Amino acid sequence: MVRINKDTPIGLEFTGKPKKMSWERLWAFSGGPFNQQGWPKKNLHTDTEFAKSMGLPTVGASATQYLGHMTELMIGLFGEEWLRHGKMRKIKFIKLVADGDVLTSKARVVSKKTEGLKIEYDLSISVKNQNNDEVLIGSAIGSIPAE
Amino acid sequence: MMSEKKSAHLIKVGEEFEPLEFLVTPEMNQQYLYAEEDFHPRYIEASPEGPPLVHPGILYNMSNNTRSPSFYLPPGWSEVHAAEETEFINPARVGKKIRVTWKVIEAFEKRGKPWHVLDILIVDEDGVQIMRRIMTNTFASLSL
Repeated sequence: MVRINKDTPIGLEFTGKPKKMSWERLWAFSGGPFNQQGWPKKNLHTDTEFAKSMGLPTVGASATQYLGHMTELMIGLFGEEWLRHGKMRKIKFIKLVADGDVLTSKARVVSKKTEGLKIEYDLSISVKNQNNDEVLIGSAIGSIPAE
Repeated sequence: MMSEKKSAHLIKVGEEFEPLEFLVTPEMNQQYLYAEEDFHPRYIEASPEGPPLVHPGILYNMSNNTRSPSFYLPPGWSEVHAAEETEFINPARVGKKIRVTWKVIEAFEKRGKPWHVLDILIVDEDGVQIMRRIMTNTFASLSL
């Protein structure tokens, strides 16, 4: 992963590793602790029949699962320091993520400004599925030392 | 603070869901590393700064208000996570107890459905602020 640095230009796009929303990973994220009796817990993220009873065509992954993918990309770009200052703004979850979908996080530099000893970057972010449909859109803010 | 369970969509502005406290064990953390397909050593190995970091996926998932002990929806209802603002403040570390609080700061109706905006704060057992979320949810029911 290439880190953002003081020479990173506006317009540059970064792409995270594609991730398949397999049943195993859906269950691990939304099914409760592995040692819980009856794991995985049935809910609209983990059980097709449950999801259909709620009017969905199939299970829908928890949006926080792919918010986690995006956070991995942000930490890759800004380092662990992002966990001390990083922000995500105006995030919208705009499409159902189903079992088997393959998601890819993307971030594009929109602007940068020097503030004191830091350079702050504003990124346009999205998560897209295997059909190039956006499932998450929004923006992110992170900074690096100016020196 | 709510003293008894009532349907989440009926919670009013200013009311809070019952807080959640949980301990992040290495096993719990590694379950989320698998779920998120993110096996970076920072989440597995201690560093000079302390124990391994808690994966952000845990912080997100365990701070959904469906995790509150007082969260309740009648059969046939579901909560839909529609929008989000997130601010990371400090990393969380494995072995620490985490406390999550939820307060309803907006409630409105749009397209015939109830909506909530929640202010969510995550702190650790030492009172260190970890993350703040502003979470927007709507509610779905086959009866709506």
